[in-house]
Amino acid sequence: MQGGWSERAQSGIDGCLSTLTGRLREITVQVHGEPAGVGSGVLWRRDGLIVTNAHVVRGRVEVKLPGGRAVPARLLARDPEHDLAALAIDAHGLAAAEIGDSDGLRVGQLVIAVGNPLGLAGAVTAGLIHAIGPRRPAGPSLIQADLRLAPGNSGGPLADARGRVIGINAMIAGGLALAVPESLVVRFLGSLSSATATVP
Amino acid sequence: MTTLLSLSNELAEAVERVAGAVVTVNARPRLASTGVHWRPGIIVTADHTVRSDEDITIARADGRTVGASLAGRDPSTDLAVLRIGDTDFPTAAVGEPGSLQPGHIVLAVGHGPRVSWGVVSALGGPWHSARGGAIDQFLRPDLTLYPGFSGGPLIDAHGRVVGINTSGLLRQLELAIPASTVARVVDELVARGRVSRGFIGVGLQPVRLPEDVRRAFTAASETGLIVINVQADGPAARAGLLLGDIVVTLDGTAVDAPEVAQAVIGARPVGSTITAAISRAGAVAEVRITVGERPSRSR
Repeated sequence: MQGGWSERAQSGIDGCLSTLTGRLREITVQVHGEPAGVGSGVLWRRDGLIVTNAHVVRGRVEVKLPGGRAVPARLLARDPEHDLAALAIDAHGLAAAEIGDSDGLRVGQLVIAVGNPLGLAGAVTAGLIHAIGPRRPAGPSLIQADLRLAPGNSGGPLADARGRVIGINAMIAGGLALAVPESLVVRFLGSLSSATATVP
Repeated sequence: MTTLLSLSNELAEAVERVAGAVVTVNARPRLASTGVHWRPGIIVTADHTVRSDEDITIARADGRTVGASLAGRDPSTDLAVLRIGDTDFPTAAVGEPGSLQPGHIVLAVGHGPRVSWGVVSALGGPWHSARGGAIDQFLRPDLTLYPGFSGGPLIDAHGRVVGINTSGLLRQLELAIPASTVARVVDELVARGRVSRGFIGVGLQPVRLPEDVRRAFTAASETGLIVINVQADGPAARAGLLLGDIVVTLDGTAVDAPEVAQAVIGARPVGSTITAAISRAGAVAEVRITVGERPSRSR
C-alpha cells in the first residue's frame, strides 16, 4: 500500500504539486519589516533583487532566505498605489523565480501560493483563478483567486501550474486572494531602473 | 508537470465552455445574482434572488442587457424561470444524471464569469425541502458560493451543468439542485407557470401516541398527528377523515411532525391516492385520500 502511494506521488498530480512547492519555496523569502511584522517576498533575479508588498516594508528590513540565513536588505523603491516594493540583498548562488505572463491568464486555471501565513514558513495553498480585473471601478486590475491566504502571505508568489510566478499576493477580500499581476511588477521594476533615485 | 498543467487547462476550458450561457440576473436590489441559459429563450435562476416580478433584466456574457419576464417560480425547490426574447447565444450543456460521484472536482460559476472550485462533498438520495419540494438528489459541494453565485451553475470538469447552486434553500447551507430536478421544474414552469404540489386540506398537530395505540401499527413513531382542522369539501373531507383522527403513517411513512406530512403529501402528484393509517377512537383505520392541488397563494 505504502509503495503504491509513493509511486503515485512521484508521477501524478501529487508529485507535480510537491515538486512545484519545493521549487517555489526556494524563491520565497521571509520579509521582516519594522514595525510591520512578517511578510513574504519573491527572489525575482539572481542578483538579489526581491519583490514584495509595499505594506510589508516600512522601516528597517531584514530578509530570511529559504535556507534560514538572515540578511539585511536595502529598500530600493516603494509603490504604495500598487502595493509593490523592491529590495536588494547581498547574496550569491540564489535561486530566482521563473516569471510567467499575467496577460494570458484564464479564469478557472490552477494557481499555487507559497508564503509565511501567520508565521508558518513555506506554507503552500492551492486554488484557482476566480476572476481577473479591478475590485472597484477604475481600480487596478488584480488577479482574484479562490485560494486561502492569511496575513504573512503578503508579498509572496502566486504561481501557475508550471510554477511560473504570475503575481504577488497582496490582499484578502471577501475570502478571495488578490494578487498584483506580474505585468504591473515588470512595469514597476522598469521604472526603478530608469530612475536612479532610491528611497532612503 | 504535465498532469497538473492538463488539469489546469481542463478546468479553464470547462469554465470557457459554460461561460457563454451564464448570465447576470438583476431582479433584486443591490446584489445581482446568476442565471443559466437553459434552453433557447429560457433562463433558470434561484427563486430567492428574484424579489420583484417586474423590471427584471439579464445581462449576457457578451455584455448585452435584455429585459426578462418571470415565467414562473417554485419556492419549494428555490428555482425561478425567466423568459427572454434573445435566443442567439449559447445554452448550457447538461450533464448525465448519475455521472457525478463524491470526490469529483466541481466548479461553481457566477456571472462575470467568476469561479470557485471544490469537490462533491456529499451525494445522497431524494429528499424534500422544508416547503415540500421534491429534489432528486442531495448534492452538497465543498466550495465557496461567493456573493451573487446563487442561481448559477455547478459544473463538472468537462463544463457540463450538474446543478444550480443556491444558499437559500436549506438554512443557508450551500447546496446544488441537481440538473434532473431543474429540468423537471423548468418544464412545469414553462408549461404552466407553476409547480403543482399535492394537498389534502387538513390541519395537523403532533400528539404523543399511547403505547397500546402505537403497538397496533407496524411503523409508528412515538408521535402521531391529530387532525385539528378539515377543510370543507377538501380531499381529506371527501375521503372521510374526521376531526380528532390521529394520522400515524402516510403511505407507510411514520409522520411525527406536520412538516414530514407536508413533504410526503407535497411530493405526490395531483390525482394520486395516498393511504393514511389512522387511530380513530382507539381503533386502527385506513383512509384513502385522492391528492388534490394546493391552491396557489397570492404573493
